[in-house]
Amino acid sequence: MIAKAWSRMAAAALAALMLALAPAAEAQKRGGTLVMITQPEPPTMAAYLSTSGPIGQVTAKVFDGLLEYGFDLKPIPSLAESWSISPDGKTITFKLRQGVKFHDGQPFTSADVKFTIMEVLKKYHPRGINTYRDLKDIETPDASTAVFKLARPAPYLMMALSGYESPMLPQHIYGKGDIQHSDYANKPIGTGPFKFVEWKRGEYVRLDRNPDYWKKGLPYLDRIVARFIADSATRTAVMEKGEAQIAGFGALPYNDVNRLAKLPTLAMTTKGYEMVSPIVELDFNTRKPPFDNEKVRQAVSYAIDRKFIIDNIWFGFGKPATGPISSNFAPTGLYTADVTNYNVPDGVERANKLLDEAGYPKKADGIRFEIVHDLTPYGEEWQRFGEYVQQALSKIGIKASLRYEDVATWLKRIYTDYDFQLTSNFLYNLADPVIGVHREYHSNSIKKGTVFVNGTGWSSPRTDELMNLATVEPDPKKRAEEYHEFQKLVVAAAPIVWTHELTFPTVYSKRLKDIITTPLGIYGNFDHAYYEK
Amino acid sequence: MIRASLWQRFAASRSGLIGLAILVLVLILAASAPVFFPGDPFAIVDKPFLPPFGTHLLGTDSLGRDMAAGIAHGAGTSLMIGLVATLAALFIGTLIGAFAGFYGGLVDNLLMRLTELFQTIPSFIFAIVLVAILSPSLSSTIIAIAVVSWPPIARLVRGEFLSLRRREFVEAAIVLGMGDLQMIFRQILPNCLSAIIVTGSLLVATAILVESALAFLGLGDPNIMSWGFMIGAGRTYLRTAWWLCAIPGIAILLTVLAINLVGEGLNDALNPRLRTL
Repeated sequence: MIAKAWSRMAAAALAALMLALAPAAEAQKRGGTLVMITQPEPPTMAAYLSTSGPIGQVTAKVFDGLLEYGFDLKPIPSLAESWSISPDGKTITFKLRQGVKFHDGQPFTSADVKFTIMEVLKKYHPRGINTYRDLKDIETPDASTAVFKLARPAPYLMMALSGYESPMLPQHIYGKGDIQHSDYANKPIGTGPFKFVEWKRGEYVRLDRNPDYWKKGLPYLDRIVARFIADSATRTAVMEKGEAQIAGFGALPYNDVNRLAKLPTLAMTTKGYEMVSPIVELDFNTRKPPFDNEKVRQAVSYAIDRKFIIDNIWFGFGKPATGPISSNFAPTGLYTADVTNYNVPDGVERANKLLDEAGYPKKADGIRFEIVHDLTPYGEEWQRFGEYVQQALSKIGIKASLRYEDVATWLKRIYTDYDFQLTSNFLYNLADPVIGVHREYHSNSIKKGTVFVNGTGWSSPRTDELMNLATVEPDPKKRAEEYHEFQKLVVAAAPIVWTHELTFPTVYSKRLKDIITTPLGIYGNFDHAYYEK
Repeated sequence: MIRASLWQRFAASRSGLIGLAILVLVLILAASAPVFFPGDPFAIVDKPFLPPFGTHLLGTDSLGRDMAAGIAHGAGTSLMIGLVATLAALFIGTLIGAFAGFYGGLVDNLLMRLTELFQTIPSFIFAIVLVAILSPSLSSTIIAIAVVSWPPIARLVRGEFLSLRRREFVEAAIVLGMGDLQMIFRQILPNCLSAIIVTGSLLVATAILVESALAFLGLGDPNIMSWGFMIGAGRTYLRTAWWLCAIPGIAILLTVLAINLVGEGLNDALNPRLRTL
């Protein structure tokens, strides 16, 4: 009896102590300004209309999404408190958080969800058009319930609801007038942890702490300033001097990153790109000889030394790729490494043998045939990559000359005129294979004039079928099996040489804690980030 | 006799001789490249970033390519582009300047406005635009350099023609009934050759610099080794592997300096009046 009373008192005392300490701990984390280097300057703040790289780095702090995601690529509640998916996969019901207010004080309701997705993202967002293609309607039985009605199951849709990919907009602001020319396009209003204050063109965007944020006590930081600095050497210097505390996504030259990471004040991580997953590749034009021949394509796949490319051209920021789906999908089960392995030590011998078999023997001068290799016009690494490929091909008797054109001409050559033989390239896998992978392999993505789709011209009835099945398969296990078979077939046919998965370094101040906490990295909202005092 | 005296006058300037000596060395280097470094200068021969004076005389670059092979093959590229682009610029500039200066009046007005139009465009930016439009290749580099280099030649030749066409020998030619073209090319042009040669020799140096700058920016022919390309490819490693930029940089410096010295020597030899001033 007495013991029980004592323990109860002790528990009460402990609870009181914890209550007393909790705000103190919070208070210790509060405060500070984070200067973030964003490169290049975003063209607009209208994240609901454009997916241009840098926009999301700023707007993801202002707009929340229905969901957030963990490093296991599983959804976490955000504006949606909970959700349920019907057994047939055609109905998704979201329970929305109550009492959430936009930065102008108006409440967030299911009407805003319906407006954002049906009226804006489904119609205008470059990826939203595809993501929400099968979404017929959103029903709003009450202010805190949104029911997604789908024509077919769309498991990938659950991966596209972050504040970066699908920002939730206030209908009373963006619903007025033409959404493509909204007065608030460059003065974004959302529910996020930071409020937009001003955009000084050519210099910075300032975001201030939202004191009424629905996550109590968050965010810790008082302010985020996104600075735009055109010169890469200056960006490095600004980081080195501590004038800025974080820079990612290619904002710093790779060779500077390795030097900065050794400084005692700075840290470096390659995490935070798991929902981007870029893969560097060589694309064949499979429509005409010599690359219409599977064996020739396999030979080239064998001839490329992945490790050499990663170490000597990309400064070690990469990981050999095995096929069309990035190993970042391993936690979801969709990825498999059980495919033809072209990354072998005796690759050159195998390649020579395959080319002999394919009917391209070495002539007297040691050359089998000549090709033109188009370089991706994205800068230095790509030029070195092309020079390396030229050398690697010369080892197997293929004489390649290099062609370097501006971006527009190159894109037209690859995706409109199909007037190429072999080109380097890189594409994002994004949050789900349906969003980022299918476009390169499905026969219905052979669309003249559309860029970054199926430019190789390769497809097969079985892989098309597998992608169609996986698109609507609600069972994760079956979906994984379908993707495993897909990967095996595509890698064997080798319409593309997947050289490596690109990793992007993010450099940040060691005083910053909890900064890269989601697979979206610097596209996250930084609500938990704080300075160690 | 005249030739001997020209050489004597040139030899009188020590700097001109030094320049000529360096230039001859560069020429020998360029000519011997296929002998000493047969094969592709882009070939990956060893581990990347080997320092100079080790297994490879000048070390290797970021991909393990032999720097010495690059320098030797690059010498040929630089000299060839410098010479061809200069000849093209001289051809255009001399023709336009000659006609403008000889005929004067409306022809002069039209041709000089055209020349000024080209002169108002910053020449290097113009060269970048041209190469970008034509897509980088050896011929587009030469065309770009020639197109941005001819206006000064045109102005120079025009000036010479303006002053020469009032001389007695021209008037004598007119009296003799000589045709316009004959007068331009047989009478007046030979008399302003010395000025053209001096300016042209300096233009070679400028052309080499422009070619290097274009290649540095990644706008050179991707299949041809050049010094500018080597510097451009090595600049990111300036802190860690200095020789990637320093060696081709020194090569460009020496060559351009040598051509300038030779140009000045020629100037002294061909325009003896200048020295008496």
